[in-house]
Amino acid sequence: MKIMVCLKQVPHQDARLDIDSAGTWIQESNIKFEINTYDTYALEEALRAKDEGECEVVVVSIGPDRTTQALRTALGMGADRAVHIKDEEADGSDALGLAKLLAAVAKEESPDTIFTGFMSDDDNFAAVPPMLAELVGLPHTTAAVKVVRGDSSLTVDRETEGGSYEVVELPLPCLVSVQTGINQVRYASLKGIMAAKKKPLDVKSVADLGLSGSVGAGAAKVKIEKIAPPPKGDTAELLEGSTDEVVAGLVTKIKELGLL
Amino acid sequence: MRFGFSEDQKLFQATLAELLTDECHHEALAAAWETDAGWVPGLWEKLAAMGVTGMSVPEEHGGIGLDDTDLVLLLEEAGRAACPEPLAETVAIATPLLAEVGGAHADTWLPKIAGGEARAAIGLERERFVADAAAADLLILQRGDALHAVPASSVKTAARDSVDGARRLYAVEWTPSADTLLADGDTGHALGNRVANRAALAAAAQLVGLGSELIRLTVEYAKGRVQFGQPIGAFQAVKHHIANAYTQLELARPTVYWASNSVAKNTDSIDLDVSTAKALASDAAHACFRAALQCHGAIAYTYEYQAHMWMKRVLVLREAYGSSAWHRRRAARSLIDG
Repeated sequence: MKIMVCLKQVPHQDARLDIDSAGTWIQESNIKFEINTYDTYALEEALRAKDEGECEVVVVSIGPDRTTQALRTALGMGADRAVHIKDEEADGSDALGLAKLLAAVAKEESPDTIFTGFMSDDDNFAAVPPMLAELVGLPHTTAAVKVVRGDSSLTVDRETEGGSYEVVELPLPCLVSVQTGINQVRYASLKGIMAAKKKPLDVKSVADLGLSGSVGAGAAKVKIEKIAPPPKGDTAELLEGSTDEVVAGLVTKIKELGLL
Repeated sequence: MRFGFSEDQKLFQATLAELLTDECHHEALAAAWETDAGWVPGLWEKLAAMGVTGMSVPEEHGGIGLDDTDLVLLLEEAGRAACPEPLAETVAIATPLLAEVGGAHADTWLPKIAGGEARAAIGLERERFVADAAAADLLILQRGDALHAVPASSVKTAARDSVDGARRLYAVEWTPSADTLLADGDTGHALGNRVANRAALAAAAQLVGLGSELIRLTVEYAKGRVQFGQPIGAFQAVKHHIANAYTQLELARPTVYWASNSVAKNTDSIDLDVSTAKALASDAAHACFRAALQCHGAIAYTYEYQAHMWMKRVLVLREAYGSSAWHRRRAARSLIDG
C-alpha cells in the first residue's frame, strides 16, 4: 500500500500579512510559514493508515527552498519519503498548473490513495484536488470527515451543505480531500525529526516532470489581478436587554445568518 | 568560529512551540494555578510522547542523548509559554547529573524520566526552598559537597508561600543516606558546581522566553489600545519603554546561547559564561516585566489578565539559582581570579 499526501506550505496563521508592491500577493520575506491546516489532517489520515499496517507514505510539495521545512516536518511526523518540486518555472502556477505538477508525480508514484487537504488556507480555491484526480484518472471525493479503509475501497463520509453528510464508496486507487477535524493531528516527535534527516527527499524540476512550458505564470489561465484587505465594517449591532433577552437575540441572529 | 543553531534544533523549538501553544495557553495556565501541583493536566505526558522529557537521557536509557545546546531553545520556549511543568529541573538539571554519575540511580530514574513517569525537583543548599518538591517523584538534594538522589517517599515537605501560583515552593526535611548518595567530596563539589551552572542556565533561558512573550503581549496591547485618538504605542513615553526592554533582551539572548555551549563542553570559562548569562537574562526579563506593567497600566496586574502569570514567573526565576547580584559577583571573581 502506498499513500501520497499533497502538502502546501502557507503563511503562518499568526503572520502579519502585508501586500506586496505589485498588489497581487503578500510580502513573503520575514514571515513564518507552516503546513496548510487542511493538509495536516490529510497527512494524519495517511499516517493512521500506516500505523494500522504496512504502508508507505510519500509527501509531495511544490515551492521554494523554505518548503523543505514543511516536508521535513512531515517526515518527522512519520512520513517515509518526500518529493519536493522546486523550480522557479513553477512560480505563478494557477490551480491547474499545480495539479499538473502533482499529477506528474502521482503518475510516477502510482499510489493506492492520494490524500489532500480540502483547500489551502491562503488561496481557498479547493480546486487542485479534483483537478489532480481528473488528470490522473482517479475517482475522487471532497470534504471527507470520516474515512474507513477496506481491502479494495474507501468508504468516505463527506460533508455537504447544511450540516448533512453523504456516504460514498470509492474503489482504490482514489483521491480524497479531507476536511479539518477529521482526526486529531499528531505532533512531530524529536526522535522523528532526527530520523527524518535520513529519509529520502527527492527534488524535482519542472523539466524532470516533463512539464516545461505548461505550468507557471506564463501558462496560467487564472491570474490574480489584485488582492486587498477586507473593508472595515462600519456597523455593529449591540444587543441590549437582560441576559436571557440578549442570548435569545443572539441565537436568532445566528440562525438568520445561517451559521447554525 | 560560527555559533548557530542547526535546522534540527530550530525544528525542535518550533515543534515544542506548537505543542505549548495548543496545550499551555493562558487559560490552561490559569487553570493550573488551581490544581494541587500547579501543573497543566496531561501536558507532561504529551511532552514525553514528543520526546522532550527524554531529550537529555542517554540512548541506552531510552532517550535521545542530546546536550545543553540542544536544550536551550526548548527551555526558552518553555519560558515563552510560562510552562509550569518542571521541565528545566527534570530534563536540564537532574537528567545530565544522573547520566554523568551513572550507576543504580541512573538505571532506576533515567528510563522513568524518558518515559514521562518521573519528574524531578532540585534543592541546592543555598536555596531555602525547593520548587515542586511535594509533587515531584525524585529530588536532587545537596548537603555540603554531597549530592543525593532522594525519592519523594523519603522526604517531608511543608508548603511555603510563592508569588508564582504555578511554581509551588516547599521546605524539605530529609536525611542523607548511603542509599541516596550520588557523589561527595571533590567529585560531589565539582558535580554540584555543574548542577548549579545548569540550573542557572536553565533559568536564564526561560527568562529570555518570558521576556520575549512579555514584549509581544505589550506591543500587541500598545498597538490596539487607543488613547487621545491614536494607539498608545505611537507615544514615545510608551514605545521607548518597550524598545529599551527589547534591546536589553536581545543583548542577553546570545550570552545565554553561548553559556549553553560552555556548559555542554564544560569549558574553562563556564562559570563566567553562565553567570554573565544569568545576570543579563534576569535584568533583561525584569526590564520586560517593568515595561509590560508600565505600558499596560492597571490591567497588567489584574488576576484576570494573562500578563501577571508571566510577570510572576520572571520575579521567581530572577531570584532562582542565584540572583543577578550574586552572578555579577561570581562573574567578577571569575574575571579577576581567572
